[in-house]
Amino acid sequence: MDTELAEISTFVQAIPPFDQLPSLLLGKVIKAFSICYVNKDQTLPPQYCVNRPLFMIRKGALTYRDNTGELLGKYGEGDLCTVFCQENLASDIKVITEEDTLLYSIDYHELERLVADYPAVINFFSHSAEERLNDKMSQVNEDAIIASSLLNTGINQFYHTPVATIAHNRSIQDAAIKMTEHKFSCLVIVDDGDKNASKATKAVGIVTDKDLRQRCIAKGLDFANPVSEIMTSNMLTINHDSSAYDALMLMTAKRIHHLPVMRNNQLHAMVTITDLMNNESQNAVNLTHIIRKAKSVDELAETSLLLPKLQIRMAKLGTTADHVGKSISAITMAFTIRLIELAEKQLGQAPVPYAWLAAGSQARQEQFAHSDQDNALIISDKMTPEDDKWFEQLATFVSDGLAKCGFIYCPGNIMATNNQWRQPQKKWHEYFRKWVETPSPKALLNSSVFFDLTTVYGDASLLEEVRARLLKKTKGNTLFLAHLSKNALALRPPLGFFRDFVLIKNGENKNVLDLKHNGIAPIVDLARIYALSEGVAATNTIERLRQVAGTPSLTKASAANLIDAYEFLGLLRMAHQAKKLQAHEQPDNYLAPKNISKLEREHLKDAFKVIKTLQDSRQSAY
Amino acid sequence: MLSHHSFFKWLIGYEIQRKRNLLRAPEGPLKDFLSVPFPSVNSLFKEADILAVDFETTGLDAVQDKLLSVGFVELSQQHIKLNTCYHQIINTKQKLKADNVIIHQITDQQQKQGLPLEVVVEDLLKALAGKVMLVHYARIEREFLQQACLELYGLAPSFPMIDTLVIAKRRLDKKDVAYDPSELKLGALRENHQLPQYFAHNALNDAIATAELLLAQTSNYPVKTALKEFLL
Repeated sequence: MDTELAEISTFVQAIPPFDQLPSLLLGKVIKAFSICYVNKDQTLPPQYCVNRPLFMIRKGALTYRDNTGELLGKYGEGDLCTVFCQENLASDIKVITEEDTLLYSIDYHELERLVADYPAVINFFSHSAEERLNDKMSQVNEDAIIASSLLNTGINQFYHTPVATIAHNRSIQDAAIKMTEHKFSCLVIVDDGDKNASKATKAVGIVTDKDLRQRCIAKGLDFANPVSEIMTSNMLTINHDSSAYDALMLMTAKRIHHLPVMRNNQLHAMVTITDLMNNESQNAVNLTHIIRKAKSVDELAETSLLLPKLQIRMAKLGTTADHVGKSISAITMAFTIRLIELAEKQLGQAPVPYAWLAAGSQARQEQFAHSDQDNALIISDKMTPEDDKWFEQLATFVSDGLAKCGFIYCPGNIMATNNQWRQPQKKWHEYFRKWVETPSPKALLNSSVFFDLTTVYGDASLLEEVRARLLKKTKGNTLFLAHLSKNALALRPPLGFFRDFVLIKNGENKNVLDLKHNGIAPIVDLARIYALSEGVAATNTIERLRQVAGTPSLTKASAANLIDAYEFLGLLRMAHQAKKLQAHEQPDNYLAPKNISKLEREHLKDAFKVIKTLQDSRQSAY
Repeated sequence: MLSHHSFFKWLIGYEIQRKRNLLRAPEGPLKDFLSVPFPSVNSLFKEADILAVDFETTGLDAVQDKLLSVGFVELSQQHIKLNTCYHQIINTKQKLKADNVIIHQITDQQQKQGLPLEVVVEDLLKALAGKVMLVHYARIEREFLQQACLELYGLAPSFPMIDTLVIAKRRLDKKDVAYDPSELKLGALRENHQLPQYFAHNALNDAIATAELLLAQTSNYPVKTALKEFLL
């Protein structure tokens, strides 16, 4: 009967949070709407409007300005205007029509009453940006836990039952025939024991294809011999209620491919490494294992091709960006370590102790596939000028190797191959002293990557000593922190979206959202400043925020908000890059607004707001 | 703005005619309708109570053709109130012509389940009491409604009306340049005012579309503009 309002319904139900309402209730909500028309350059709300209107833009555009006239945001078709739902907001924000505008409006109290059974809908309006972001991220984290593969999957998801068995007194040939006929790669050998006893069959061993080859054919053993002669007796088993991860770890550690599953001490099922690997073939653990065993740079380069696949897969599983960043960083670390080992094999022992350092995103454990390499060498002060030749060769070998593995050379030349960043410890002390004691924004811009450093290989104490001295100097050092902040605050999040554009502070429109520079980097920068000003040694952004939470630099609530914003932005970046990688395109950080869903836009705006609030308070601190 | 000829004829006429008809009308819906005074012609247009109405019919001749469906919605103090929207198909007790069905998309099946004409007209008169009727191209709605009243109550009253087509035409005529009559269609005018596209030929959709158009057409008028500026 209400099909006549179908057009309006179609429009409204695409707009969050109305998309959550069942159609019957949506129909009732729409009946409570009014339609009004406001000319260009008028101030909302229009005359004769309800008391607390919630507006929905059907056609036209609205501009928000603060009391000083500064642009706060611009809104187009399908956007909501909630400014007048709450009394306190309305006095601070001026809403002006930028075009002739057709608006749907509803009395907010009436809406509250109608959707009382759908608290999520009301929360959407009544919660602050911070609260909404938190709602979203707690849901994402739950999903990630559910999705996180093997750890939470029982082996019952993978095993085969019943198990193919053969009696211990049958011949080797019988076993081979049975395996061929049934296409089994292994058989469990059972002892029927005393037929008269009520005791069930007992598994006494296992025979695999490999056993037939190695223990029978290769040794010229008679096929007619009992199969028990070539079986592995004391076989490893696993309990049926173990996780798939446990099974994988056991098989990897013991280098076996078949694992019988026991239930109440009885043979119950069989799980093979292939079953698990198919599921987890691009698993990070598995990949580092392969890397560790690689014998040449070419072998490593081949393995590196799996990295984008791993990232796609993790993104699809709903893994958090934090987890992906840590996994990819761990793998990059494994590549680097293996390359250094290979180099040392070729060049011989290092003349003096040293540490290979990773800087930037790898050091923060926030690396994604196809990042560039940022590295440096810190060498013991015992080094002689002649020793540098060895380190230069090391740096060249590793850097070239990393490039072959898809980690492009650093465009800013922040690499150990650069003599400037391949220095004894005393020189590094000197660098940091200069940056901190006589800071200039430009010098800091180029060196900020060195405030995120980690030891990949070698003597970790070299870096720790440098860092300890640095943190003592930076803690509470207002001049230094002011300069660092100035750089950090240069990157501002956008105001929001207007139609299919990204709206920038001065009212300018951009076609794409640069997730990295307009969202992720500002948070990374803020976290670095907090960490340095509080003397926190951590490099990972989330870790830094957690550790500074509750210090004078950052309240616990703000830290939680920044973490939510950071994880949400990371999630979007990951999904975007997974799409790119899958299409065999270079992954980037540029999102076109038309590809961002309405709901994601809302969450993005909330994230921008969180960043802006903390940037503003940082700015006012100096 | 308006030619003074029609101004006199109608403005003075509405209330006098209403009172005269009230005396003649039989007990029932029409009498109830006529017993509520029309809005004063000097009242503010922006505060007027208006009912946007649209009919779907089997043709253009009010005597021979039939009323198929009625849709209306209230426009009060510049706000279209969706809680007042009404849409009803009428059982005309005759088979529909195929070419017509294509336009209004009301099938024989739906039509048979419709309500009798007298019920729908009664609903309309109830909603219309004390209000100005808003239509796009007044002839159809006026003639079909008067014809229905004549059939049902033996009396064809006059209705104070606003016509978005006339408002647009007047504006185009003033410009003194030739224009294509198709520019006066509801869809074309809406497009001109940058109003969203809509699905035409459903009586309620058309009524809402007409109300939106009126808001767009009159949004630039001073607050003090009187209702009579827009009455036919």
